[in-house]
Amino acid sequence: MKYVTTVNGNEFNIEILDDRHIKLNGETLEVDFVSVADQPAFSLLLGGKSFEAYVYPEEGNLQVLMQGRSFSIIVEDEREKRLSVAGGSTVSESSEYLLRSPMPGLVISLPVSEGQEVKKGDVLLILESMKMQNELKSPREGILSRVKVKPGDNVEQRQILLSVI
Amino acid sequence: MKKVLIANRGEIAVRIIRACRELGIETVAVYSDADRQALHVRYADEAYKLGPSPSRESYLRDDKILEIARKSGSQAIHPGYGFLAERADFAQACLDEGLIFIGPKPSAISAMGDKAIARATVSKAGVSVVPGTGGEGSLSNEELLAVAEKVGFPLLIKATAGGGGKGMREVKSIDEMPDLINSARREAESSFGDGNVYLEKLVEGAHHIEFQILADQFGNVIHLGERECSLQRRHQKLLEETPSPFIGDDQDLRKTMGDVAVKAAMAVDYVNAGTIEFLVDKEKNYYFLEMNTRLQVEHPITEMVTGIDIVKEQIRISRGRQLSYTQDDINQNGSALECRINAEDPFNSFLPSTGLISHSNLPTGPGIRVDTGVYPGFEITSYYDPLISKLIAWGENRAQSISRMSRALEEYRIAGVRTNIPFHQRMMESSHFMSGQYDTRFVEEKFSMDEEELTNDSKAEIAAVIATLMTHQRYKLSSQFIKRGERDTSNWKWVGRWERMHR
Repeated sequence: MKYVTTVNGNEFNIEILDDRHIKLNGETLEVDFVSVADQPAFSLLLGGKSFEAYVYPEEGNLQVLMQGRSFSIIVEDEREKRLSVAGGSTVSESSEYLLRSPMPGLVISLPVSEGQEVKKGDVLLILESMKMQNELKSPREGILSRVKVKPGDNVEQRQILLSVI
Repeated sequence: MKKVLIANRGEIAVRIIRACRELGIETVAVYSDADRQALHVRYADEAYKLGPSPSRESYLRDDKILEIARKSGSQAIHPGYGFLAERADFAQACLDEGLIFIGPKPSAISAMGDKAIARATVSKAGVSVVPGTGGEGSLSNEELLAVAEKVGFPLLIKATAGGGGKGMREVKSIDEMPDLINSARREAESSFGDGNVYLEKLVEGAHHIEFQILADQFGNVIHLGERECSLQRRHQKLLEETPSPFIGDDQDLRKTMGDVAVKAAMAVDYVNAGTIEFLVDKEKNYYFLEMNTRLQVEHPITEMVTGIDIVKEQIRISRGRQLSYTQDDINQNGSALECRINAEDPFNSFLPSTGLISHSNLPTGPGIRVDTGVYPGFEITSYYDPLISKLIAWGENRAQSISRMSRALEEYRIAGVRTNIPFHQRMMESSHFMSGQYDTRFVEEKFSMDEEELTNDSKAEIAAVIATLMTHQRYKLSSQFIKRGERDTSNWKWVGRWERMHR
């Protein structure tokens, strides 16, 4: 199977030939890939070299943590990729982003008010949890809407706090 | 002293249990609902439940802790750090019950607990404090504004009952000061129930350097050298080392600061282990900041270079014996680092991460020590602080301790929660850190976890291969799952039905 894998904007063409072989940018390599200690930790032997990484699925992407670095990666089946290019913009950009509470906590403040424009990386909400104040940031630009909480509210994990459209 | 109750949880409770075990002292653990399976409960000789998970219903319940001490026949209480460790009323209540409090006298805790009183006490003893409002702790807004010009800008507003950066504000000019005083007071009031604030000159390019003190009941006070704690994020320490690369081989500075630290401890008749924190400016002027009247999180690095077991020494002091060492016995041998491994995501604003630790593979090998209270199967909850473990590395010199730490961080595997290990790995690679060129602003102003240029990076290629292989594995698994569903009955059932049909 052929995949097109995008790492922080750079594309790699990777073909899985069989359980032990892949073709990376035209070159055939011997691989041995296993999950260690259950997921998300994986061990890769690539042409005799040993690597380990954690792989976490995130909204449509995979986050790979390796040797102290984080890579945001999109893996697409080559056919899917061709279809999505032909079909124009992807769904995720047009839809609403729901900010859910990553943990139980107390809402301290909302620096931005409803209807205001936000940029990627702007702080949307400050949540106190584990004795610390945490900044929840916007993953993309948009308009703040549907604010469901106010300062002083106790929130549960996964509770919807607000959205960005 | 035959039995000690440990009024704490997590790695520090385990650390204290270990010292007691080695001394042949029985241990009593206390726990909350969330900690029934915690390591300190499993390691202790006895364990009693305090209550529900929130701290105020469990580890802060001084009445219940004293009751358990009574029932279990404990002779002493070790408070660890945090929770009840710096509460003079709790230390006093222990004494009233006829229990030994493994820590300083209540009077020393309260003298150092109020930052304004502490500043006044030590400056009377001839120790310089950061220029500011001196020992005045209850000035009005008008008085603060009047003093501000004399102190000079930029300055800091700090809570007298403070700690951990709460109620602290940085002021650049007189215009913004009235608002900031009010917001600092509000935060101090809500955090400590005391809205009093004082002013301190903001020392720029500062180092946060502390000295470990040991004092017995006979008036012997010694220090065990310094710890460099300048690597902080939002006033939370992340990484500590000893000796301080900033003091370096300036033995005169080390000696005079150590002597001053001893003097500051003596000013409050200090007994047991404590820490004097200093702020040191670029010109090596040093000022007393505060005293922590307890065991510190980062005590192991001092243990690594001095060879002294600080917790055992605390117990020895509490038993009314003399210190095992004099100042002349104390030497710093080699270099030690401590990385605080927290359940937080360094790639996402250091957001705390909770969950079940599904796997943990601790680094070992030469010069490595790990102090932890968790294990695979244990859940990190949002009730307590996010510290998973303390990774400590010792080396003959700083270069060796850094390379050992790097190696150990790479070996460390934790699954189930996100950790700040990548942050520490980046720090070990940072040229500023390697050359010891950092101050208290370094993490926030000069250090970034953002990805720099990664084009043609061979690591990106490997990461791509791993992500692709994982996606492929999942795809294969899901297609097998569909195939399996084609005939979901067992062959025996199928044969049974077939036979019935043909009867």
